[in-house]
Amino acid sequence: MVLERKIAFIDLNKNSVEVTSIPLVLRHKFLGGRGINMYLLSKFYRPDLDPLSPENPLIFGTGLLTGTLGLGSRMNITAKSPESGHLGDSNMGGDFGAELVKAGLSHLVIKGKSQKPVYLLIRNRKVEIRDTQKLWGKDTVETQKIIRQESGDEKIQVASIGPAGENLVRFSAIRTGMKNSAGRTGMGAVMGSKNLKAVAVRGTLDITISDPKNYLNYYLRTMKKLMNSKWVQSLGRFGTPLLFQYANAIGFLSIRNNQLTSIGDQGYAIEAEALEPFSTGMLSCFGCPAHCRHRFSIEEGKYKGIKGEGPEYASIGSLGSKLGNLDLQNIISATELCNRYGLDTISTGSYMAWAMELFQRGIIDQETTEIPLNWGDGEGIHQLIHHIARRKGFGNILAEGAFAKKNFGESSKDYLLDIKNFPIEMTDERLPKSFALGMATSTRGACHMRSRPSLDILGLPEKILKKIYGGPVSGEFSSYSGKGRMIWWHEIFNAVCDALGFCRFLTVFSSPHAPQYKEFSKLIALSTGLIFTPNELKTIGERIYTLERMMLVKDGISRQDDTLPKRYFKEPIPEGPAQGEIISHKEFNKMLDEYYRLHDWDGNGIPKRENLERLGLDE
Amino acid sequence: MRIKVNKDKCSGCHLCEMVCSLFHLGIINTEKSAIRIHKDDLDTSLNTPVLCRQCKEMKCFNGEKVIHPQERKKFIWNKTRAEHCPFDALSVLGEEAFHCDLCSRNPQCVKVCTPGAIQVIK
Repeated sequence: MVLERKIAFIDLNKNSVEVTSIPLVLRHKFLGGRGINMYLLSKFYRPDLDPLSPENPLIFGTGLLTGTLGLGSRMNITAKSPESGHLGDSNMGGDFGAELVKAGLSHLVIKGKSQKPVYLLIRNRKVEIRDTQKLWGKDTVETQKIIRQESGDEKIQVASIGPAGENLVRFSAIRTGMKNSAGRTGMGAVMGSKNLKAVAVRGTLDITISDPKNYLNYYLRTMKKLMNSKWVQSLGRFGTPLLFQYANAIGFLSIRNNQLTSIGDQGYAIEAEALEPFSTGMLSCFGCPAHCRHRFSIEEGKYKGIKGEGPEYASIGSLGSKLGNLDLQNIISATELCNRYGLDTISTGSYMAWAMELFQRGIIDQETTEIPLNWGDGEGIHQLIHHIARRKGFGNILAEGAFAKKNFGESSKDYLLDIKNFPIEMTDERLPKSFALGMATSTRGACHMRSRPSLDILGLPEKILKKIYGGPVSGEFSSYSGKGRMIWWHEIFNAVCDALGFCRFLTVFSSPHAPQYKEFSKLIALSTGLIFTPNELKTIGERIYTLERMMLVKDGISRQDDTLPKRYFKEPIPEGPAQGEIISHKEFNKMLDEYYRLHDWDGNGIPKRENLERLGLDE
Repeated sequence: MRIKVNKDKCSGCHLCEMVCSLFHLGIINTEKSAIRIHKDDLDTSLNTPVLCRQCKEMKCFNGEKVIHPQERKKFIWNKTRAEHCPFDALSVLGEEAFHCDLCSRNPQCVKVCTPGAIQVIK
């Protein structure tokens, strides 16, 4: 059964490949995907490991149920991050993960550095290292097309870097298809540092199923229930841009580098409905019934001829409102530019927002930036993206991400809103206290995907919240009460989802009725024959999260780093629907205490010895 | 009975291919499915589901002396028949071709097609 899904160790120094089985005990402890990736990374992780050195392993991992009838078919790419200098990990949709499983592989561990640019061609567990001088310099979509043409197989799935990854821009992405990205934490730069342009995969192997008849029936029932949810229906029509509307209406968007948190009615220009005229249909990742992704085409005007997929909420926010840019066509075009270069749209937007605020305040001027960095200047935004990806002039400085702080003097530092040397995203968390804590404690630095409890927006009755979270949680969005519990619960739950290859949107993201551990347990049993109780799954989530925390602890990270940008504690939101909201140090610390207690970490945020023993992490 | 395709609605999720192989063979292998999605995912992003049209005049048999109604009920055919299909509608893997037997008049693929790109026509 699952034993047929193997792991390939690829050494680019030695030009060698070894394919081995994944011991069942690892499946029992970590499932797959992010879980097994973290186990593998932990074997190499040390504080002095240079993320751009050949020793840093680049790990691809598909979820235990990726490629089957589950709740999505996603995968994680993991390494030490050149962007933050700490734990790096990014989750990716599309078809690549499922194709890897069809090729009989669950995980790839790529070490070393090739002398010349190469790509990997994987066909049914056979891994070939191929020279690729002519692909070097090509953008991420061209690269995929050329590999397909060369191999004469249109079904080959390719994960590649673009010029940004080649140039070691610290926030480079790994991309597949028109839009899917392992975007955050700079996995593309790790790939570039290995002279590895792409990983191409094609598989035709059977995925054996333990109980086919009952599995199909159970899946059909689960899917039907899911598709009846209003939330999934809305996602299938509007996609994630729908979330932009919520954030703008309630007041937790980042506007002009978080100087404001809503643009009020001006938001109409870039929200979900404004995207409709460009939309030519909705698309799905492999194995997903929700189809939340837009296909778009711009038919007239300045950006005529651009077609592709997206943009998602995160890109609209990061390259739009965060930069004061309300020109939707410009945002779409900027997103495409990042995608082609292989840049993470979120981090790219965040560092540009930082630079724009420094420009606004006169901390840097045009002598430094070459390009005037004015809020909402779409042309300037495009130009700066080109310069970052090509490491040209001021772009070369910003390409260093948070490490560029040293270039602009002491007064510049607090205007980069980062956590653990990793920039916050398209939102502002001064209003939603649960979101704020989740950003502070995320194991990959400021990140909403580790925990974001969107359920908190719904204002559910406390009786229901207690049932979900197992303890008292306030239904008030701006309340601190019980939010430590909420974040603890979602961190563990999301780790399990990522280890299974599931998508946030098909589980408990915005609907309390969506599938949870009980349904996961049943899907695993019917498809793989492996038995996990819901409680055992939860323990696996704890194990994954605590293992990630232990890697951060090795880096010297503790309670003092589980914090928020100074602006959140010092500046009340000046206007808009969330006016006056701020984070109280005292209340924040109370949330953190509750959160550590539930994780069974000590008051300084260090996992306790007996907890590590319980989770089998004490080796 | 046949399955009608409205390609503009196809989201490219491959769920139809997965349930087809699962229902007939007890495995998941999108290559061993009677329906397949042609994707133009690096250009127009358009998807085209392709499967047997249940033609009245079955050119796929190319003069074979077989009992047509019986053959229609079979899922695994051979590659030669696929080569004779004027619509190139059968999936082929190795020497085998996969033919839509309509799941004994209870097609599974349409049950998972949430955008409604494939529908049963009676």
